[in-house]
Formats: sequence, C-alpha cells, structure tokens
Amino acid sequence: MPAPEPNFTPDAAPADAGVTRRSFLRTSAVLTTGLAALAASLKPLLQMNDFPTAERFLQKYYKEMTPDDMAKVIRRIENEVERQYGIRPHVRDLKPMDGVEFVYCLNLTRCIGCRKCVHACVAENNQSRNPEIQYIRVLRLPDGSLDIEKAEHNYAPESVPEKGYFYMPVQCQQCKNPPCVKVCPVHATWQETDGITVIDYDWCIGCRYCEAACPYWARRFNFTKPSIPKERLNPEMSYLGNRPRRQGVMEKCHFCIQRTRAGRYPACLEVCPAGARKFGNILDPNSEVSYILKNKRVFIQLKEEMGTSPRFFYYFDV
Amino acid sequence: MSPGSKTSAVLFGLSTIFVALAAGFLLDFRGQPALLYPIPLVATNFLDTATVRRSYADLVRAGDDLSDFDCYACHERGKPPRLRFDADQHLIVPKEHSDVVMGHGRHGRNNNCFNCHDENNLELLETRDGHQVKFADSPALCGSCHGPTYRDWEAGAHGRISGYWDRDLGEAQRKACVNCHNPHSPRFPSRQPAPGPHLLRPVAAGAASSGTPSNPGSEWVSLVGRDSWRAAVETKLGVLAREDARPTGAVVKLAQYPSR
Repeated sequence: MPAPEPNFTPDAAPADAGVTRRSFLRTSAVLTTGLAALAASLKPLLQMNDFPTAERFLQKYYKEMTPDDMAKVIRRIENEVERQYGIRPHVRDLKPMDGVEFVYCLNLTRCIGCRKCVHACVAENNQSRNPEIQYIRVLRLPDGSLDIEKAEHNYAPESVPEKGYFYMPVQCQQCKNPPCVKVCPVHATWQETDGITVIDYDWCIGCRYCEAACPYWARRFNFTKPSIPKERLNPEMSYLGNRPRRQGVMEKCHFCIQRTRAGRYPACLEVCPAGARKFGNILDPNSEVSYILKNKRVFIQLKEEMGTSPRFFYYFDV
Repeated sequence: MSPGSKTSAVLFGLSTIFVALAAGFLLDFRGQPALLYPIPLVATNFLDTATVRRSYADLVRAGDDLSDFDCYACHERGKPPRLRFDADQHLIVPKEHSDVVMGHGRHGRNNNCFNCHDENNLELLETRDGHQVKFADSPALCGSCHGPTYRDWEAGAHGRISGYWDRDLGEAQRKACVNCHNPHSPRFPSRQPAPGPHLLRPVAAGAASSGTPSNPGSEWVSLVGRDSWRAAVETKLGVLAREDARPTGAVVKLAQYPSR
C-alpha cells in the first residue's frame, strides 16, 4: 500500500510552512507597535527611584533580628542617610528600660497655643518639610466647651493666647489598648513594654488601616517622598524613631524614643515656653507625672469612651 | 474564519489596547503627583528652647552684666528710698526705674516696692514675715504668697524642667518663677503663634482663619511645565468652577486655587 499522500496543496503551502512578504510585514508592524506601547506603559517605573536593595528587601522582622542583624541594618541605614544627605548619622536601637512606663501630662490651663511643640517635633523627628508632616495638632476650643469635632485647627491670630479660647495639643496618645496595633495586617506596629507604640518603617506596607483606626488623628502617611533640607536633618537617630522614612509608610509620635529611652525629655516638652508639658515614668512614685495624677485635677483621657486608655492625660491647675 | 485572520484580529485588538494604554500613560490623565506649593522652613526662633526671661541666677551663671542689680551704685546704704504715690495711691515709678511696670495682681494693692524688696538692704528680697531672701533664691519669696503654685513647682507640676527625666542618667534643670514671669508684671506674655498645619489642598482665603500672617510664603503656588498645561486643559474642560479663578501667568494666588 502506498504511503498516504500528505495533505499538501500548493495554495496552503505559504501559510503553513513559510512566511510571505505580506504576513511578515503585518506581524512585525503589530509586534513593533505592541512592544513600543508596552515600553511606554512601563515608563512610570522609570520615575521609581527608591528600589529596595537586596539587603533591605531580605531584612528580617524587627522582633526576629539578632543583635548582629540589627548592627548590619543600622550600618545600612547610616550608609543610606549619608548617601542621601551627606551627613553621617548616629543610629541606635534603644530598648525599653526595665521598670519604666511613660506617661505624658499636659496642663490645659498653661498651654498658650503657640505651636512651638509642633515645630520642635518636626525638627527633632526628621519629618518631611514639603509636604510638611506634623505629629502634633493644636486645637483651639472656645472656653467652656470640649467638643473637639468643632475645634479650630488653622487658627492664625497675631498673638496667642486669645481671649475666650483655650488650646489643646493632640498627638499620639500611646494607648494601653491601641486600635492601630490591632488593625495592622503585618504587625509592623506594636506596643513596647514602656508603653510606646512603635512602627517598623521597613515592615510597614502602607495600607493606612492604622490611620483609619486611630481616633486621635495621630498617624501620618508619607504620600510623597519625604524632603528634608540637609541643614535641618537631626543626625541623632533611632531605628524605631526618627530615622528618615520612605514614601508609602506610616509614621507618628513615638514620645521621641531616641531621647526618652536615653533618659531625656521629649523635644516638645523642652521647647514649651509655658511649661505646660510634663513627661515621666509613672512607675516612679516621685516623678512629676505621678504627682500630677495623684494631686492635680486630671480631667481626661481624650475620648475615654473609646476604651483606648491613653497614656496621655490632660489636667487643669485650678 | 481562517486561523490566520483570527490571529491578526487578536493581534490588532491587543495592539489597540497597548496603544491606548501608551497614550494614557504618556498623557498622564491620572496619577500625577499632587501639586506641591512651597512651604517655607519654619523660622528658627520657633525652635528656640530658651526661657521667656533670664533670671538673676542665669546672669550670674553666664557671667553677664549684673549692673542692674548693683543697687548701691545709685542708692545710698542705710537710707531706705522714699516711695511716692499719686492721688489714687498708685506708686509713682521713678524715671531711673522706668522699665518697671507695676502690674502684679489685679487688686491694685500690691503697689509697694517693699512688699518684696528689703528696704534696708536693696540687694536682698524680703518676705512679708521678715525673712530675707537672695535674688538667686527668689522662688522662696514668690512661694511665700503663692503657696499651692509653689508646691506644684517643687513637685515639678508647674513650670519648666529640662534635661533628663531619668535623674540617674543626667541632670534636670528646673527653671525658676522669674524665668517665665516678670515679678513686676507676672502675667505670662502673649506671643506670635508658629505656622499651623499646611494643607495639601489649600483652603479659600476668606474661609475661617486661613489668613496667613504667620505663614505668608504659602500664599503662592508656582505652576510650571506640564502643570500649567494641565491647568489650561482643566479650564477648557470646565473642571474649574470659575474660569477666572486661574490666571494665565505661571504663578497663581493660592487662595484662588480651587479644591478638586
């Protein structure tokens, strides 16, 4: 039996086996257009300038790092800061002290609403200057009311204090029962034993759930690449504190962890001209904050009804 | 449909999508960074941690000019100065002391220098019950009348403390009454507030207190390059509420920049 005739016709031959001039031109035109379009659509990636290095990408979770790992990470951060700002910073990873729980007290009788704390905080903690990120928001409220939803945030009179108003600075309240920590899907924020709720900026994915969960408007998001002028960079840094952040991560007040864990007062307290801000260890019965909570008319934990149990107390003199 | 024409239809569809995407990305319809307006750096006087006033103790520590406290350069020893009062029993402040504003208390009775100064030794202070107090220890004098405040100050609840909360690690400096209060006119002085929050979307100038005496630089925004082109397009498309809100120049008044 002869072998079956292959299914071969002279007409079909060019389509199956070879390339005609026409199909070659058509296909290559389509391919060129497609590739050009693909390249154009990937163009925005060129604007990405903050590709993580392999080192940062493979970095471990803060709580799983050994001291050696941390030393390496600190060296990496110091190098990155030096490359970007030309200043060699001093980065530390300060741990909570034993027998210390921080509490902040703010005297509403004394606050004059000058907002110096806001800017001392920005300077200390290397927040972005444009757009400007501020951890502290000073609210102006009419005397005799405490409806903070109706507070004025943008007051700008010639001089403060103004007659008929009082001022209430609000910042992270370092809650004992922090809603922001509960909602974080990646455990990038947690409460330390000294009461400070911290953020690992290298672990944060920027989902902003914590911002939504916080009843005190305390969390800030880096929508753009933070910009800090070289001459305003604070080189005394800590890993969980004021080291420069990247675009796309959250940040907030951390009681100046780089200062307070070294025994110093936070920057907002140091700059307050009226002495309205008090900070200390509540576990020490001789500290200022212990005296205030025992003896002064401490009227609120802000939004007490939320059950967050802040470590930030407001008090009056009279 | 032959296999060849099916392939070319798919390829044609794909390339149309690619071209559309390319056009979209190139023209950047969405996803441009927000317009940034220049935010001036905050003046460094707002970052200053100095106290409102310098006390006698501060001057001594700094080795500064103490001639203001050299009473017997003009006064005579052993001869208490005579005070003069006007018809309403207000003290007449002599012109040599014209920097002194008598404003201690609102009742008008604290109008006698020797309520606090020792008339027999002007280089000392004296409490009402006759205890002599040095200028450097003035809080003891203030506390002789302002008991509860003095108690709070001693406990650290009133006044300023700076340095270290952990006294094992470093020193804390407690500021004295006169670091903040002028003893002759003790009301805490008012001052200019530092700039408030900078909004990504500036509010209209007329609206509540966005007036910017402390923040003049934020009134202007510079629209350059593609942003001004985009603004022109938006104006054409009627995105803006008022066409006249966007001047043609490269610089627009921030107050007129509408929120989107």
